[in-house]
Amino acid sequence: MPILTSLGHSRSHQKIQPGLSQAKRESVTECATHSRRTMEDEEESLSSSSNPNHLHSDSKTLDPALQKKHASMLERLANRHQTRLDNSLTRRSADSDSSSSPLESTSSFLSHFADSKRSIEEQLARCRLTPTSDSAEVKTRLDCISSSISDLEKLVAEKSYFLPSYEVRSSLKTISDLKQSLEILNAELIPRKKFSFRNKAAKKEQVIEPKKDTVKEKEVEIRKPEKTAFAIPESPGFRHKTGEVLLSQFKGSEIGEFTISDLDSCEVRLLGCVRALFIHRLRKCRIYVGPVMGSILIDGVEECVFVMASHQIRIHNAKASDFYLRVRSRPIIEDSSSVRFAPYCLSYEGIERDLKEASLDEETGNWANVDDFRWLRAVQSPNWSVLPEAERVRIVKISNSDCRAEEC
Amino acid sequence: MGLLSIIRKIKKKEKEMRILMVGLDNSGKTTIVLKINGEDTSVISPTLGFNIKTITYQKYTLNIWDVGGQKTIRSYWRNYFEQTDGLVWVVDSSDLRRLDDCRMELDNLLKEERLSGASLLILANKQDIKGALTPEEIAKVLNLEAMDKTRHWKIVGCSAYTGEGLLEGFDWLVQDIASRIYVLD
Ligand SMILES: Nc1nc2c(ncn2[C@@H]2O[C@H](COP(=O)(O)OP(=O)(O)OP(=O)(O)O)[C@@H](O)[C@H]2O)c(=O)[nH]1
Ligand SMILES: [Mg+2]
Repeated sequence: MPILTSLGHSRSHQKIQPGLSQAKRESVTECATHSRRTMEDEEESLSSSSNPNHLHSDSKTLDPALQKKHASMLERLANRHQTRLDNSLTRRSADSDSSSSPLESTSSFLSHFADSKRSIEEQLARCRLTPTSDSAEVKTRLDCISSSISDLEKLVAEKSYFLPSYEVRSSLKTISDLKQSLEILNAELIPRKKFSFRNKAAKKEQVIEPKKDTVKEKEVEIRKPEKTAFAIPESPGFRHKTGEVLLSQFKGSEIGEFTISDLDSCEVRLLGCVRALFIHRLRKCRIYVGPVMGSILIDGVEECVFVMASHQIRIHNAKASDFYLRVRSRPIIEDSSSVRFAPYCLSYEGIERDLKEASLDEETGNWANVDDFRWLRAVQSPNWSVLPEAERVRIVKISNSDCRAEEC
Repeated sequence: MGLLSIIRKIKKKEKEMRILMVGLDNSGKTTIVLKINGEDTSVISPTLGFNIKTITYQKYTLNIWDVGGQKTIRSYWRNYFEQTDGLVWVVDSSDLRRLDDCRMELDNLLKEERLSGASLLILANKQDIKGALTPEEIAKVLNLEAMDKTRHWKIVGCSAYTGEGLLEGFDWLVQDIASRIYVLD
């Protein structure tokens, strides 16, 4: 199935065949070859002379105009390289001992990282242990810590192009832990007011219900006089209903994406496979769906029960809802609270075949491996939990006409 | 630092391009990168943080940064702007509801000074899904025609599922970066 298989195997470094048109490829090849040869030539001649006019004295193929072009290209490359170097250098003011190839050394990064981490932890501890009632002072201290964390994060981002990925991951984990500690400290010291990192677009929290986001509207206005230049077609779906049972049966895999939105107190049953499922703005609904071969995106649901299987599930702005899932990857939640998870329990005639077709016939156990993007810590997120077995529905049987849930 | 040692360093980095992939969550960034690299795409979790892939493409070494697009972590994007040669903006062409979000986030990104020199490839992904908007429609919704005239950009329809369009997009991007940086003007 992968069309690129002819182009390589699953190694992490690999060649991709050039797909450029002949003409394009030639021009790239040409300049690239020139540039390499020029550098070699140049280095050679440089070792005997540093006069740039002698750079290409040994190269008979180049006319003077071309030489000039080469020189200017080299200058561009040198500038680009120097900028990268400078940018890196400014980040490591604390690190002065190593001068050989310090920028590309993992161990020097790690020791610098460890120092910064320690210093931030000290700042956090000091802040906690020496309380001050001056709220402006507290704010200054917290801002200062926040900017230290941002700097550290930037350092990682920058160095990660030579760091082994394990180091990158663990460094990022450390940073998110530090942020979390800061948020906790902030909550202790400045109750109620939500603290946010400096450059974060704090105002952009989205309101789910009606669009009152005037900032947003205005920004759109600047570049676009009318909302959209043409009518966006509606995808198949169930929308704007109250107190109904909505049923759809998909045959084969001709169905693409499906949308379930703006429902109140409804029950939805989807039998068969779909490619992608979008769900938003539901209240007090029960949603039963067969296998989704791509991803499910949920946004803004309250007091609902979902029973669904999919390759990926992203849950945003969910409140007080239960999810019975089968997922191939880790489900994620964001801006959600009081959500509970349990394993998939749907049954309809032919579901086994559909699940198999969508490669969802195996229980992966991922229904319990939820990542809360608002809680990137090793400690369990307070926003979600495993639904206690005693409270779970054992199996939900649906058909075209009938629906039955068996309690434990 | 002498010119000679700079040149030595350049020789090593000469063919390196740094490419930043961003876009809303669920748009298919990680799937695209794995597909290009010939890796298995059947189990991919939403990206927490970022992934880096080093891929040899033609004569170049691409350092591709695939950064998570969940709302919570979009504010981290700016940490990756520095030294970006190419920007890939991935759109889920079947996610009609969030096209406004998509346009806003792209607009914000393009205001960023540090990205002003980067070539921009817009991938209108998920073309295999029935009901997906075409690249032309996506271009209209994102109002690409109004883009700053100095920006090098291109929109390409693709599917990380079938692989269609990916090479076309990356060929253009690499070619465009190469012609900005390496070509003799
Ligand atoms: N049908 C179809 N599905 C796709 C395509 N590309 C990606 N997907 C699916 O879209 C979902 C999201 O893909 P990801 O690669 O995880 O998206 P992402 O942009 O990396 O998301 P974040 O990491 O959260 O920012 C997955 O379920 C993919 O299988 C495509 O071209 N066609
Ligand atoms: Mg991803």
